[in-house]
Amino acid sequence: MARFIGLAQASDNTSSDPPNNNGNHAKSDLLSNSSGRRRDVNEVLQLDTVENGMAHADVREVHAEKLAVDTLALSALALFRAQLLNGSPHSAPTSPTELGATAMAELYPSLAQCAIVAAAFKVLLFPAYKSTDFEVHRNWLAITHSLPVKEWYYEKTSEWTLDYPPFFAAFEWLMSQAAALVDPAMLVVKNLGYDSWVTVYFQRTTVILTELVLVYALSRFIKSAPLANKQAAHVASLSILLSPGLLIIDHIHFQYNGFMYGILILSLVLARKQLLASGFLFAALLCFKHIYLYLSLAYFVYLLRAYCLDPKNVLRPRFLNIIKLGICVVGVFAIAFGPFADQILQLKDRLFPFSRGLCHAYWAPNFWAMYSFADRALIPLAPRLGLSVNREALSSVTRGLVGDTSFAILPEVTKEQTFLLTFVFQLVPLVKLWLQPDWNTFIGAITLCGYASFLFGWHVHEKAVLLIIIPFSLIALKDRRHFSAFRPLAVAGHVSLFPLLFTPAEFPLKTVYTIFWLILFLFIFDRIAPVPERPRVFLFDRFSSIYLTLSIPVVLYSSLLHHLIFGSQRLQFLPLMFMSSYSALGVVGSWVGFMVVYFTT
Amino acid sequence: MAPPTSSSHRPRKKRKAPTAPGSNNSLIVDFGDGKQSPAFPLVSFLWAARAGVSQWLILPLTLMAVGLFRWAVSLWGYSGFNVPPMHGDFEAQRHWMEITTHLPVAKWYLYDLQYWGLDYPPLTAYHSWLCGKIGSAFDPAWFALDESRGIEGPDLKVYMRATVLISEYLVYVPAVVNFLRRYTRMHGVHAWSASIALVAILLQPATILIDHGHFQYNTVMLGLMVASLDAILAGRMLWACIFFVGALGFKQMALYYAPVMFAYLLGVCVFPRIRILRLLNIALITLAAFALLFAPLLYGATTTEARELFATSAEPPLLQSLPIFLDKNSMAYALLFQMTQTIHRVFPFARGLFEDKVANAWCAIHTFYKLNRFEASLLQRASLGATLASIIVPCAIIFRHPRASLLLPALSCVSWGFFLFSFQVHEKSVLLPLLPMTLTLAGDGGLSKQNRAWIGWANILGSWTMYPLLKREELRLPYFVMTLLWAYLMGLPPTSFEIFRSRASPEETPLEPHLFSKLLHLAFYLAMIGWHILEAFVLPPAGKPDLWVVLNALIGAAGFGLAYLWCMWNLVVQCREIDLRAAEEGSRKKKQ
Repeated sequence: MARFIGLAQASDNTSSDPPNNNGNHAKSDLLSNSSGRRRDVNEVLQLDTVENGMAHADVREVHAEKLAVDTLALSALALFRAQLLNGSPHSAPTSPTELGATAMAELYPSLAQCAIVAAAFKVLLFPAYKSTDFEVHRNWLAITHSLPVKEWYYEKTSEWTLDYPPFFAAFEWLMSQAAALVDPAMLVVKNLGYDSWVTVYFQRTTVILTELVLVYALSRFIKSAPLANKQAAHVASLSILLSPGLLIIDHIHFQYNGFMYGILILSLVLARKQLLASGFLFAALLCFKHIYLYLSLAYFVYLLRAYCLDPKNVLRPRFLNIIKLGICVVGVFAIAFGPFADQILQLKDRLFPFSRGLCHAYWAPNFWAMYSFADRALIPLAPRLGLSVNREALSSVTRGLVGDTSFAILPEVTKEQTFLLTFVFQLVPLVKLWLQPDWNTFIGAITLCGYASFLFGWHVHEKAVLLIIIPFSLIALKDRRHFSAFRPLAVAGHVSLFPLLFTPAEFPLKTVYTIFWLILFLFIFDRIAPVPERPRVFLFDRFSSIYLTLSIPVVLYSSLLHHLIFGSQRLQFLPLMFMSSYSALGVVGSWVGFMVVYFTT
Repeated sequence: MAPPTSSSHRPRKKRKAPTAPGSNNSLIVDFGDGKQSPAFPLVSFLWAARAGVSQWLILPLTLMAVGLFRWAVSLWGYSGFNVPPMHGDFEAQRHWMEITTHLPVAKWYLYDLQYWGLDYPPLTAYHSWLCGKIGSAFDPAWFALDESRGIEGPDLKVYMRATVLISEYLVYVPAVVNFLRRYTRMHGVHAWSASIALVAILLQPATILIDHGHFQYNTVMLGLMVASLDAILAGRMLWACIFFVGALGFKQMALYYAPVMFAYLLGVCVFPRIRILRLLNIALITLAAFALLFAPLLYGATTTEARELFATSAEPPLLQSLPIFLDKNSMAYALLFQMTQTIHRVFPFARGLFEDKVANAWCAIHTFYKLNRFEASLLQRASLGATLASIIVPCAIIFRHPRASLLLPALSCVSWGFFLFSFQVHEKSVLLPLLPMTLTLAGDGGLSKQNRAWIGWANILGSWTMYPLLKREELRLPYFVMTLLWAYLMGLPPTSFEIFRSRASPEETPLEPHLFSKLLHLAFYLAMIGWHILEAFVLPPAGKPDLWVVLNALIGAAGFGLAYLWCMWNLVVQCREIDLRAAEEGSRKKKQ
């Protein structure tokens, strides 16, 4: 009996529709598999395989028997449906919720198991390299603990002044209460650069513990996924939980992204049904870290269209909903910024320091990195093409390590231009979201807003790539078209984080862990992602595989060969420039690809 | 059956399928409601691989994952970090790289014994030379002669840690992977449970903590030993000899394994019929391997400078006791000098019965009945006698029944005997008995509750007895993380008590641990937890500062004694099974 249920589920997985209307769907999906995608059939057989000890299902054989299996699956489906209707007395689960439980039981390793093993690994990373962000957060612990609230945003003993919104400051204050019990010395504002063992243990532990928010959000995400997508949601959750991005940024470099992306994912999950709670959480998230402002337009459009206006008639507002949402959002902001009402300009200066340059030190892999690369590449050609060269800029561009970059040949870029570009490219996907305000489109729009701000924003950090990767992970397994747009991003986004860690001891950690993650999840995604309803763009697949192959020589060159050929002193900027241009190509490529997928789905 | 397609990943040979699901390794638990769930957490991590995922995917992922844990442990402190003037094992190994790269071969075993003189066999010296040469290319200051003593730095640490990891991945890991492949095929174990056993073996906490935390190269020696076992399974006796000589030549500690290897190799030449030629071959190839091992050393002794050096140095005691008199300037004297000096350094007979508090019989007896009232020579003889008595039975069995499948229990039994009764035992030597014991996880029924309970318990006890050592080196956190992680993955206490609960169907009962052993294990786990609490929160009484350490050694010794008995019992039972089967087959043949 269990086997038949399994068969029914396996064929269910191919389509996102509920089981009662997908008889033909399952069939067509199985048929369209003949192009070499063998997942469903394999899965159907997998159950047999375990039971009979048949180690390997032969692919061609499977294809030859495709039709037979197909009919088998269909009959299993029919049986399953009959059971659902009759409430059969068999021991097999009969209601959809119970079935969900069976499906859950099939999913191993569980989220909690992975979290435990990952936590063990993260604890072992305590003595690893930590960036100045560690001192930044220690300083904030000290500021919030030892100064009155009014002085938090004025204190400047350390150069790492408090520049996150008030909720984050309150979060630091909360942690400082525990820190006082552990080592009060870390809470002294004047103790610059204090990093006793206890301090390191304490701060690193807070990162691991607050990441439980992410684990909770992911478990909610799995629960909220429709039955047919359970497995995909489970795998996607594991990929986020084990993300090399979070490992590198949070547990080695030191930040609290796991915690905040946990809130974001929770808000995105709630956006399926509880829109008010979702909006409330997002407003709170903005008061934790204002980088999420980049995603706010998508939230605005979605909540306006799906919550504040009548779904059937745009011209009929739902006033009660508007008032509820308004109270929530205004209330959150009032609680956050209320205590600082008289110093709001000081907060603005701290939160939005616009004195920085266009590109960040390591050249985040965005459009401007490619722009800089083009500028750099044009310098030798300039005399032949008759272009004028800005001599002053020459030295600055070659460094690549200084804050503000100026261009030798291409025109300078102003802040206003970057804002305009970001805004325009955010608006494009939002049009579709306005017309079709469902959850999948919303996540797509969030992802595209992340893309636009990462690619065209002013002074973008390479860490901000998580703003794209994490929301995208939630829908990357929707079908193979989504997955092939996701693939170059997964490679480029994580490889571009490598320069964050430059000490030799962390080199094996970041590379091996990232390769491990890429092999594991790209392989599983590849097996799980269902076949799309529309045919895929052939060219894009080729681009994606060529891109993947290219990553090997690029990473090899910039991490090893360059030093062997040129030594560590000459042409320092070259590996960084290669890496960021290569990664930028991947991010831009996946952006274009996803745009196409988004507008044609 | 259609011919296999070339596009998909397929192992070249089809594995023998188990007769029934989980017949020999109870990995899948069925709670009677048709739901299958993994028996312990490690199984769930490989759950997706249960239906024929290619080894080309699983193996690299496994090796990367266990490698990451190793490297993460190596970020922590090492033996002798920031402890001048002598530092610790890290400095010893670095110092050997320093002297082997800068001094002529003749001086290697003569140089300043007081400051970490080279006292490991030649293969370690050559390995140090290679590592030192490569390291000097990065930064010659790391290994500058005499100048570099006590040098410490993040880059040097990374380099040294990398040499351990790379040596392990070049020797131990391929040896274990190959051995498991052959061993599981021999036992008809499914590839899936072989993968699970591989992860369990490669994550053994004690080995990782000592090699990558404390800093040593044990895995090279253990790897050569496993390679030797692999050669035996493959029926290549001569390669087995070569690899075993390699293990001995890397670390004299491999002598713990020597009696079994000797008994086995002798046994295959005698039973079922005497084969003189094979015996001669084995003897010759062993001698040749030893000759090869010492060749560079001896070649170095033939130069004129070396001869002058030896003529003016004090004679090694071993040479003095030889009844030969040679001209001090002759070539033969130089060669003999080099040999005896090396052996003298490698086997320090002059040291005491035991050094630190170590969980073996002598230390345990000493706690209640002071042994230093006896003469050293008497103690040495007593220790020799006790060791021989403890190993005679397993050696006799393996000699009479030279079967590959009996090797692992015999090896663990004999090395437990050595660990408990021989002299000059280090707490780190516990890795030797643990290795063959843990390897049996891959065998038939190896991952059953009974086996997991005993092997897991021995491993956890093993790393627990090393806690006082690890604590000195600030490796407390890695100790807790790695040990608890392993216990968690294997579904053992203190993370889960599932292993003590019997819920299996009747036909699986023989693979359940006996009630008595459950109680014993439980008592030991409670003792370990209680000890940790005592050690952390209660100061030892005045005048007995080492009380907790002694208590640790006592509990450890009792546990290891039990482990010895369990291995012995296992060996006897398996041997009897083989006898019975042989008798059955014999009678069937007679009937035919």
